Amino acid sequence: MINYLKNIIKGFSTILVGMKVTFINLFRPNVTVQYPNVHPLVRAGSDKMPDNARNKLNVIIPKCTGCKSCEKACPVNCITIETTKVASIDTEKPLMEDGKKRVFWLSQFDIDFAKCCFCGLCTIACPTSAIVHSTDFEYSCYDRNELLVHFSPFNKEQVAEKKRILAEEVKQKAEKALADKQAAEKAAQEQNITDSKIKSSDDQTSANQNIQNNSN
Amino acid sequence: MENHQFLFNFISEYTGDILAGVLIAIIPLALLLVYALVAIYGELKIASFIQLKLGPMRTGKWGLLQPVAEVFKLLQKEDITPDGADKPLFNLAPFIIFLGCYAALSVLPLSSHFAPSGLNIGLFFIIAISSLAVLGIVMGGWASNNKYSLIGAMRSVSQIISYEIPAAMCILGVASMAHSLDMNVISAQQQGGFWNWYVLGGPAGISKIWLIPFTVVMFIVYFVTSLAETNRTPFDVPEGESELVAGYHTEYSGMKFAFFYLAEYGNMFVVSAIMTVIFFGGWSSPFGDFLNSPIWQIFWFIAKSMFFVGLQIWLRWTLPRTRVDQLMYLCWKILLPLSMVCFLAMALGGMLY
Amino acid sequence: MNLEAVIFYLFALIIVASGGLVVLSKNIMHAAFALMFTLFGLAGFYAMLLSDFLAVSQIMIYVGGILVLIIFGVMLTSKITGVELKTGPIGKVNYLFGAAISVIIACGLSLLFTNSKWIEKPVDKIPDSSINAIGYSLLTEYILVFEVAAVLLLIALIGAALIAHKDQIIDSDASSNEISTNNDIKIKE
Ligand code: SF4
Ligand code: SF4
Repeated sequence: MINYLKNIIKGFSTILVGMKVTFINLFRPNVTVQYPNVHPLVRAGSDKMPDNARNKLNVIIPKCTGCKSCEKACPVNCITIETTKVASIDTEKPLMEDGKKRVFWLSQFDIDFAKCCFCGLCTIACPTSAIVHSTDFEYSCYDRNELLVHFSPFNKEQVAEKKRILAEEVKQKAEKALADKQAAEKAAQEQNITDSKIKSSDDQTSANQNIQNNSN
Repeated sequence: MENHQFLFNFISEYTGDILAGVLIAIIPLALLLVYALVAIYGELKIASFIQLKLGPMRTGKWGLLQPVAEVFKLLQKEDITPDGADKPLFNLAPFIIFLGCYAALSVLPLSSHFAPSGLNIGLFFIIAISSLAVLGIVMGGWASNNKYSLIGAMRSVSQIISYEIPAAMCILGVASMAHSLDMNVISAQQQGGFWNWYVLGGPAGISKIWLIPFTVVMFIVYFVTSLAETNRTPFDVPEGESELVAGYHTEYSGMKFAFFYLAEYGNMFVVSAIMTVIFFGGWSSPFGDFLNSPIWQIFWFIAKSMFFVGLQIWLRWTLPRTRVDQLMYLCWKILLPLSMVCFLAMALGGMLY
Repeated sequence: MNLEAVIFYLFALIIVASGGLVVLSKNIMHAAFALMFTLFGLAGFYAMLLSDFLAVSQIMIYVGGILVLIIFGVMLTSKITGVELKTGPIGKVNYLFGAAISVIIACGLSLLFTNSKWIEKPVDKIPDSSINAIGYSLLTEYILVFEVAAVLLLIALIGAALIAHKDQIIDSDASSNEISTNNDIKIKE
């Protein structure tokens, strides 16, 4: 009997507690935003987004090393990266954001947002946090091609130019190597009588140089 | 009390008896329709505010036209009668349910000078007529030819019939204190400030203090049963959407669904009005004779009733749904004994004062 | 025709039509629901005879109680709702019997109606409510009948509870506490 009454009183009082909670919430300011009329950024303060908001991706090109980790991490293969080595004869001497010397031009960095599932795996994989979620989440458009975003700072001509410079450098190096080789051969022929050990080591270095140039 | 005839006499002087009767009958209907719009809006808004949302905001200023838009949406929808359904009963059911609610409205005294029908056994009539809703629900549930509808209807009926008993106990308790079943008389007895309301022991002197706990408990019991009788949360097992799609009105659409909807909100008002009359003084002002003219009385009556409607909505967004067996446990093992004890006390009070 | 007559014939029409439906309908659920209108029409008659309490009781007991009981009975009886009511080979004979009995009853009723001495005193004062008079006579003149009926209902109630609780009484002391502690509504601490 005591139990029974206790039970009733407890049930009743817990209901009152619940009602108190909802009553307090009734007068708390709302958390939602009248979205198309009021942009969430206006309300939350610009560049403030909820943590883990998976919005449109943004690539901060000065930070990107061109390591292609993001491309590999992407489960739907929507990132396409093509890099071009920075030629040493290039007049531009680009630096990374942290002041290191840039090794690769990003001649192509495309993300296809039509495919992207906004999983955020690329942002985790990136060693320099160059690829991040932006605060922009409105990407509906009338043409699917608009969703293919090019992040590379270069247009086609610039890419061609950079490639040409690189090719020139390769050519120069090859010529130089050839010249070196020829010079070496010449020298060898001239110094036919000299020590055989020196000659063989010369050959090897020039061969190494050739291989390197080709691979680039 | 012949007072309630005031409006009828007034109108019939100009139009004749028949037209006056029709006009009087239209008043509760208009009240019901306007009230339903307000209640739907209130429900949407309170629900949203409790969840820290804004609720409807686009239709009109602050979404004020939302209920109107919803009514138009329901009217436009295709009126589907399923192939396997029992057509005459299927089409009749919503109207029977609505009839029960509308008939109950007809005896509510809105003011000391106006009750659509001043029946002197008004309380008894309301208990009786609310059983029409039971029939309508069975009719709709059975005629839909759908398992979920049928189970929902069965649950609803067993629930309403069970909860009618404690509800009748509460009403009887007050009736025995008031020595009357006339709602107008009961309201009139509670005039003279909130201290005279039956929830605080009625209009007896200071010696009624021992009665107050019983009347308060009785009021709580009645409030709980009224939630169950209108199938509101936490007792909305008949339409529990997690189990039964929508219960007895699963198959209904368009206009007929609107009738179910209207009847649900109408019933909420009816039970709130009964609560107002039997426990909270009906149309009488809570401040004695202050603001107690017949026009203000309408305001008090509607304000008090709407308070309880709001309370029901508030509860709906607080509590989860109970299980069916818990529902029956609550009714038979808690509410019924409690109401019996309180009834005995109140009957004693009725004899003493 | 005055207003009262119009209302009377309206109710009469409802009663006769729905009564006919109860008898003639092939679908038992339709019959059960048609009964509702018959009972309602009857309540209307009572109200017209100024016995408001009786009218409301009619709705309360017959519409709210007995009819729901009938419908539940019909619905819970397996395979009865879909079955069409048919008369077998002896149907024609049944019709004859039915007609004969109806005629006999009708004749008897009309005989009674014409021969009985109706009290035709004009009512000089319309009573405010019949409920006070009913209450007084129930608790004075007919107190014994009233109490016997109450006891009968109580016995029925206890019997029903006994049937429903059969197994629990056998295996426990039927202490109400024990049953309630098993119940899930108890708040677990
Ligand atoms: S968010 Fe996911 S799917 Fe989109 S680009 Fe990054 S890794 Fe690929
Ligand atoms: S992982 Fe980061 S640094 Fe590497 S290519 Fe992608 S964006 Fe650039």
